Amino acid sequence: MNWNCLYLAIISCLLLLNSVKAEIINKNVERYLDLSSQLVKTTIKINAEDSAGVPIKEYVFTAKEANIAYISAKDALNNDLKLRKEQSNDDQRFVLTFEKALPKQTIQIETVSVGNVKPYPEEIKQNEKQLVKYAGLLYLYSKYKTVTQKTQIKLSSSNIISYTQVKPFSVSSNKIILGPYENIKALSDEQLAIHYENQTPFLTVNSLERTIEVSHWGNIAVKESIEMIHSGAKLKGSFSRYDFQKDGRQSGQSAVKSYRTYLPASATGVYYRDMNGNISTSNMNVQRDFIDLELRPRFPLFGGWKTQYILGYNVPSYEYLFSAGKNYQLKMRLIDHVHDNMAIDKAVINVILPEGSSNIELMTPYSIKRRQNEFIYTYLDTTGRPMISFSRSNLVENHISDFTLKYTFSRVSLLQEPFLLIGFIYFIFILTIIFLRLDFSIVSYHHNKSE
Amino acid sequence: MNRGPKILSNKVAGYSSLITFAILLIAWIAGFSSRLFAVIRFESIIHEFDPWFNYRATAYMVQHGWYKFLNWFDERAWYPLGRIVGGTVYPGLMITSGGIHYLLHFLNIPVHIRDICVFLAPVFSGLTAISTYLLTKELWSPGAGLFAASFIAIVPGYISRSVAGSYDNEGIAIFALQFTYFLWVRSVKTGSVFWSAGAAISYFYMVSAWGGYVFIINLIPLHVFVLLIMGRYSPRLLTSYSTFYILGLLFSMQIPFVGFQPIRTSEHMAALGVFVLLMAVATLRHLQTVLSRHEFRKLFVVGGLVAAAFVFVAVVALTMMGVIAPWSGRFYSLWDTGYAKIHIPIIASVSEHQPTTWFSFFFDLHILVCAFPVGVWYCIKQINDERVFVVLYAISAVYFAGVMVRLMLTLTPVVCMLAGVAFSGLLDVFLQEDTSKKFGNSAYSVTETDENEDPTEKKTLYDKAGKLKHRTKHENNHENGISSNLKSVVILAILMILMMFAVHCTWVTSNAYSSPSIVLAFHNSQDGSRNILDDFREAYYWLSQNTADDARIMSWWDYGYQIAGMANRTTLVDNNTWNNSHIALVGKAMSSSEEKSYEIMTSLDVDYVLVIFGGVIGYSGDDINKFLWMVRIAEGEHPKDIKESDFFTDRGEFRVDAEGSPSLLNCLMYKLSYYRFGELKLDYRGPSGYDRTRNAVIGNKDFDLTYLEEAYTTEHWLVRIYRVKKPYEFNRPALKANERLIPPSNFISRKNSKRRKGYIRNRPSVIKGKRTLK
Amino acid sequence: MVETTAVVQKFYNDYVQHTPKKLKLVDIYLGYILLTGIIQFVYCCLVGTFPFNSFLSGFISTVSCFVLGVCLRLQANPQNKTVFAGISPERGFADFIFAHVILHLVVMNFIG
Repeated sequence: MNWNCLYLAIISCLLLLNSVKAEIINKNVERYLDLSSQLVKTTIKINAEDSAGVPIKEYVFTAKEANIAYISAKDALNNDLKLRKEQSNDDQRFVLTFEKALPKQTIQIETVSVGNVKPYPEEIKQNEKQLVKYAGLLYLYSKYKTVTQKTQIKLSSSNIISYTQVKPFSVSSNKIILGPYENIKALSDEQLAIHYENQTPFLTVNSLERTIEVSHWGNIAVKESIEMIHSGAKLKGSFSRYDFQKDGRQSGQSAVKSYRTYLPASATGVYYRDMNGNISTSNMNVQRDFIDLELRPRFPLFGGWKTQYILGYNVPSYEYLFSAGKNYQLKMRLIDHVHDNMAIDKAVINVILPEGSSNIELMTPYSIKRRQNEFIYTYLDTTGRPMISFSRSNLVENHISDFTLKYTFSRVSLLQEPFLLIGFIYFIFILTIIFLRLDFSIVSYHHNKSE
Repeated sequence: MNRGPKILSNKVAGYSSLITFAILLIAWIAGFSSRLFAVIRFESIIHEFDPWFNYRATAYMVQHGWYKFLNWFDERAWYPLGRIVGGTVYPGLMITSGGIHYLLHFLNIPVHIRDICVFLAPVFSGLTAISTYLLTKELWSPGAGLFAASFIAIVPGYISRSVAGSYDNEGIAIFALQFTYFLWVRSVKTGSVFWSAGAAISYFYMVSAWGGYVFIINLIPLHVFVLLIMGRYSPRLLTSYSTFYILGLLFSMQIPFVGFQPIRTSEHMAALGVFVLLMAVATLRHLQTVLSRHEFRKLFVVGGLVAAAFVFVAVVALTMMGVIAPWSGRFYSLWDTGYAKIHIPIIASVSEHQPTTWFSFFFDLHILVCAFPVGVWYCIKQINDERVFVVLYAISAVYFAGVMVRLMLTLTPVVCMLAGVAFSGLLDVFLQEDTSKKFGNSAYSVTETDENEDPTEKKTLYDKAGKLKHRTKHENNHENGISSNLKSVVILAILMILMMFAVHCTWVTSNAYSSPSIVLAFHNSQDGSRNILDDFREAYYWLSQNTADDARIMSWWDYGYQIAGMANRTTLVDNNTWNNSHIALVGKAMSSSEEKSYEIMTSLDVDYVLVIFGGVIGYSGDDINKFLWMVRIAEGEHPKDIKESDFFTDRGEFRVDAEGSPSLLNCLMYKLSYYRFGELKLDYRGPSGYDRTRNAVIGNKDFDLTYLEEAYTTEHWLVRIYRVKKPYEFNRPALKANERLIPPSNFISRKNSKRRKGYIRNRPSVIKGKRTLK
Repeated sequence: MVETTAVVQKFYNDYVQHTPKKLKLVDIYLGYILLTGIIQFVYCCLVGTFPFNSFLSGFISTVSCFVLGVCLRLQANPQNKTVFAGISPERGFADFIFAHVILHLVVMNFIG
């Protein structure tokens, strides 16, 4: 008994000493939660310091949220930090490595996660408002102790049904400020729940297939085929066109009537269609550095309703294709804007290069899954065009960035197709000539016989 | 001396073939481009109703291959019966476009099958022009042929069925028809087995493409028969007809849909009869050449008696065995225009099966209508074997076109040909003086003078070059008769008429025949801008995206093909109106009260009901306007439950306002069309619930639906879709215990029995949203 | 009756004397085809027409062979030369072969 007590005391003393010696604590944490759309955008400012004054080289950031689509970390000078992901059993750990080990570090972490704002109730009638529930954590989930922390939450409307109330807190219109809280233990996971009105479009792109076809004749054709679902509260009961038309504000507020897609400014020949043909309801506004395309689906999207469409356009190749001799470099966006606050479940990107391209090398801004390369045969092809294909799931707007594709292509093979065409026509002429000669001989043969 | 004329004739031949080629090419291009109005104004899209099925079948064939297509059982149509597509379709159209698709893809040209389908008819119109040229050339002269080719390229009567997107059998069938006739005439002229085998092959293509092949297989025997009667028998006729018939018979049986009909049905018996007759005549003729008259007569008596006995026994035996089927109802309706109205309302309900009005003759053919009797007259005046054919063709086609609007299509080619003959004959008389005076007989210079003419006149003048012989013949007859002033006046008049014809054709094509009917365009009266109503596709796309994959959709049969094609959902009835009782059941559901029709709908496993309602925008081709046909068809099968007279007011009017009959105001169709319409105010001054199509305030405004709920209504209320509630979803009105079971319906058992009454070989369809009511 | 036989007799003699050898060859062919056709017809009367398409294709192929043979005979007959202007016996034979090729292709398909 006595021995045991002593033993325990010694161990705890040692532990205490150890922790006092070299423990990282979060001196101050400020969280900004943006819940005004279907995404949860979190910005966390952490002032970390070592209690013993030991320079911090690595910091472990633990995320308990599911479906983190995007994460980035910056240090005090706004330089990107290296992130190394470690998967443990139920949470994700990101190990941040600092360039300079200092006893005090300031970190700014941005995350975007998908699917954590859920409609509640899950089914609403046409004239009801869409209410959503956010379930998260009251405190920053961290393996380190936190001294003070404060959370600011931005909501889409001032209509808040309920939220977890832990003092001190304050509410002003669509903002909730929680905290400051003090001395929070490591790995504390108290829940935070907010139930509020959110009428912003809950659109999820289930699948996006983006095909980029490069032609060395000066054109790059982009085609995106998109499957989309309204992932908000499902429509319960009947849809009434009368109500929808009579009172657009009251009825079907959460329905998506249209949304905006931004295309590159140089895009021409834009088409918007589905398997039944052209969708005639869209507007195009040409801005200075992009094209603002207002897309209206054939029908307003209510909760649970789906649609599919194909959007395509051409861009001149000189803006995206660079060459040095035989070496070419294609630099284009991996994905492009579909709608504001978009969430893409799965994207497949296909890049079709001209016939005869070789030594293909792909560089992407983030990790992707390569797929089997294929050969595509279109107009006047003989050996086929190489198609580089890769995919990635769970993408958000922050993923809009360029990939680079290097390949070699000899200019001579550019002339292959015209020559093929000329040769073909020549062949037809020769065939006609031969045929006419033959025809003549047959006739005369018969004449001779009959005479 | 000898070489001179030879070079000259070579040169003339060179010029004339160049000009022929150029005119045919221009005709092709003109025909092709004038059919593109719809594509330019709207988009590359399949039009109307039947083409959607053809497109869907073609897409299926391209995707799954030819053998799977032949054995395709479509469980998405005619729920719960299904439809054996491979055996109930003329596959020529699908094979043609599938073949083109295959060829293009073999050459690595990735054209979508839809674009091939859309542009197939315009491309084939060029082939039609060429085969018309060939046929007319055989009949009359190359000049007339060029006229005919130019006419057929732009004549509205043919364009109406072959605009881009109108992907229907007729588009390729007219080409096959003309080409078969060309080969037939050629083979009659030469007596060559080769040409007549070619005619049989072309006939085979026609059989595979369109039910109108029956026209060929009756017209050609008629031609032979008339020639026999006229005493124009020759061995050439024997070789050409017997080869054509026997090969054509065998070929036509290769099409699964046609099957053994060529030896079983009365429609084809005339051909067999003529074949036997021709054989008999040939034998007699042969004997006649060998034997003396006296001997011949004796043999004739004996042989005649034996043959008569044989034929009599054979006919009696076959009729007793029931091998030869009687004429089908559709053919009766061709002889007696009133027949369909009384016996087969489903045929009569289709607007294109109505008798043709005089107006539409002029509308579709314009000046050709006037010119074509002249052509007939020319042909009769200078009759020979093949002109007998064209005269018969003209007479029968005029008759059929008079009976049914739809058969205007078979009249159009012959009108073009004969009008071509007429114009060419006219110009023969009036357009020769210059050349004869200046150049004497060297007529090739005509082409040179023509070069200076106005391009619009080129077509009419160019064709002179080809027909040198005729002119020289006429020159002697008329040279002194007509003054040059008169000539120029007449020529100017003719040119004016031709120009007006071209203008009329373009106008008609652009205004009447270039609407895809699934996309409607209207002009805004305020600012003159052009708006597009895309409600059909909106609704169909909604169905395809937001209903279960196996959802069953009940609608009137007009929309069956479109639902299957664009929404890819199961339908109960569609434009292949093969099962009248099934359609009548749907008609009954539409015209019963909500409660009764719920029973029918649950027994048919209906998930959604789709109705077309034009009351908001004033679209006249909607379901309320078709409603009387539904009632009539339903009454035909269920006379106890549905009575047409119930839907009229006491004064015999069909009206939807407050004075309308109660059974109309409470039937399902009415409720579905006007659900919540009574609350809608279309403008500030007018009353609510004002139906713009029928110009009336609806009679039953305030009602609720118990068994259905609105699932979707398009932007302009044109298409309304309702979901049929499941039994647990509503408070069912109390039922007595003994009524609680829905009595098992007997319609499923009909699947196996061969109910072939009202069987229709060509799927009728309603066009352009015209009113189907009279 | 006697007269009829006399007529037939005369017909036969006439035929033997005046018909070219080529035509006789064709006539033998025609006779053979006729015989096949009769056998087929008798067979169908006795046994039945069960695989109807097979019977039909067989029977129609004999009929069309016969018809084509008749056509060939007509075209090859020197007496008809004026009627069939431009068709030499060789051309006629080529047509005959052509028609037979397509005929038998279809028959093979149809006989199943």
